[in-house]
Amino acid sequence: MQTIAVAMIVIGAIAFVIALMRGAAAIAWQAYLVNLLFFLGVAQGALAASAGFYLTQAKWGGSTPYRLGEAFAPFLWVGFFLFFGLFFGRAEIFPWVTHPIPQKAAWLNTPFLFARDGIGLGVMAAASFAFVRVSRADDARAWATATDDIELPPHSIRVFAPVVGVLFAVVYTLIAFDLVMSLAPVWRSTLFGWYFFAGAFWSGLSAMALTAVVLRGRLGAHNVFTNPIVMHDVGKMVFAFSVFWIYLVFAQYIVIWYGDLPVETFFIVQRAHHMPWSPLSVACVVLIWLIPFTVLMSVRAKKTPMILGTVAGLGLVGMWLERYVLVVPSLSLDAIPFGPTQFLISIGFLGAFLISAVPGLNRVAQAATSGEPVGDDAE
Amino acid sequence: MSTVEIISSFGDDAQCANAIEELRAAKVGDFNTFAPFPSHRIEHAIGKKKSPVRWMVLGGGISGILTGLAITIGTTYEWRLNAGGKPLLSWPPFIVICFELMVLLGGISGFLGVLMMSGIPAIEIAPGYDGRFGEDRFGLVVRCEETEAERVESMLKESGAEEVVREGI
Repeated sequence: MQTIAVAMIVIGAIAFVIALMRGAAAIAWQAYLVNLLFFLGVAQGALAASAGFYLTQAKWGGSTPYRLGEAFAPFLWVGFFLFFGLFFGRAEIFPWVTHPIPQKAAWLNTPFLFARDGIGLGVMAAASFAFVRVSRADDARAWATATDDIELPPHSIRVFAPVVGVLFAVVYTLIAFDLVMSLAPVWRSTLFGWYFFAGAFWSGLSAMALTAVVLRGRLGAHNVFTNPIVMHDVGKMVFAFSVFWIYLVFAQYIVIWYGDLPVETFFIVQRAHHMPWSPLSVACVVLIWLIPFTVLMSVRAKKTPMILGTVAGLGLVGMWLERYVLVVPSLSLDAIPFGPTQFLISIGFLGAFLISAVPGLNRVAQAATSGEPVGDDAE
Repeated sequence: MSTVEIISSFGDDAQCANAIEELRAAKVGDFNTFAPFPSHRIEHAIGKKKSPVRWMVLGGGISGILTGLAITIGTTYEWRLNAGGKPLLSWPPFIVICFELMVLLGGISGFLGVLMMSGIPAIEIAPGYDGRFGEDRFGLVVRCEETEAERVESMLKESGAEEVVREGI
């Protein structure tokens, strides 16, 4: 897998450089931003899920769900460095760099934006790694696999898990405001940050579900994922947070619809009522909410790995599309600039994501096949 | 032939579930279980079918949506008010009303359904009930023919019953 991932990275990098040389810089930087937001969101969302499991004292899958959530963590540092690459493309993606808005200049200026988001992402990645470290320690694993007590998790976990949760909300709100909302600098929605990180959280959960389904078939007969009760719980997470995502979509939509102020409505009109974007917006809602909600409602569907994996995979495609629809119409309203360049750049990011997940996935495999007890969670 | 009632108590729900499974396998008598808390193990052992309360909740939810539609569309036509130039029938706010009524009526029918299906309030105390079955003991009351009583009693004891009492009816 490593060789393929490296090849994907090389292809993506070549496509990116060729696009810059051909003068298609705008298209290249759009794809760069969309993929950065998506894959960073998946990695951080899954890690936040692991922290959330500790906060809710989840023992339904032993230590495996924790390893699963932490598997993608190394990409956080990759994303942190890739974020600074945006500095070189700032004129292409931030409209306020070439046409500054005097009233907002105190917030929307290049040094301050890169300083605050860079510090935010750096602190977030550092806190996440500190959390992963304590989570992989022996006492945390012993806690997660002890099925017959109601002890609290170890002290170090009780310090870092809430920190990761709160930072996730704060930093990803900032990222949403700076890297998505500022592309349409006159638009604002207070809830947008929450909506953005709830989507990232769900994409993390979907990636975990998809990974669980793939590993289930690869790890031999007696891994944790062959336990239907564990798969049921994984499916419940995908189902629940899909509903939460549509709730946040609607919560923003109805406020903007009711107020009907042109300065607020244009953002939605461009995406939901303007060709060529409206079919894509509908597709996002179908892939992220309608399909998971209707299909995963039944217990049997959640327990059937093929169905759960398909829904989670489609959901990840939907979430990538959603990030695309959030970012690109602000920069290219009348045409979808998706083509070989953007496709290959996305492939490059996927390669970087996969290669940084390899060590974590080995740990997942180790935990899943260790035969440790999982929580007594009868239906 | 006369029927007897065998009252047994267990300290652990796994033992009680075990006894139930053996009784069902042996196909003797009719039994009733008392538990101080809802136990999944015992539920599994009894082999109860899925509760019909889910259908009551679905029915309540759907009637909530229909009520919501009736209220919103009905009042809009009754009082034709142009709000900010929006179409008369504007769906976004209707969704909120329908959703809330779906939750409300679905919840109420779920609550009533649970009361109905679990027989609350119980006017008569079920035969064989003992106060301890509401505290820290699991009770299993078996009704069977007198000829089979010996067998049932030994089955219960083997499963780990603390006390086995036979009562004639």
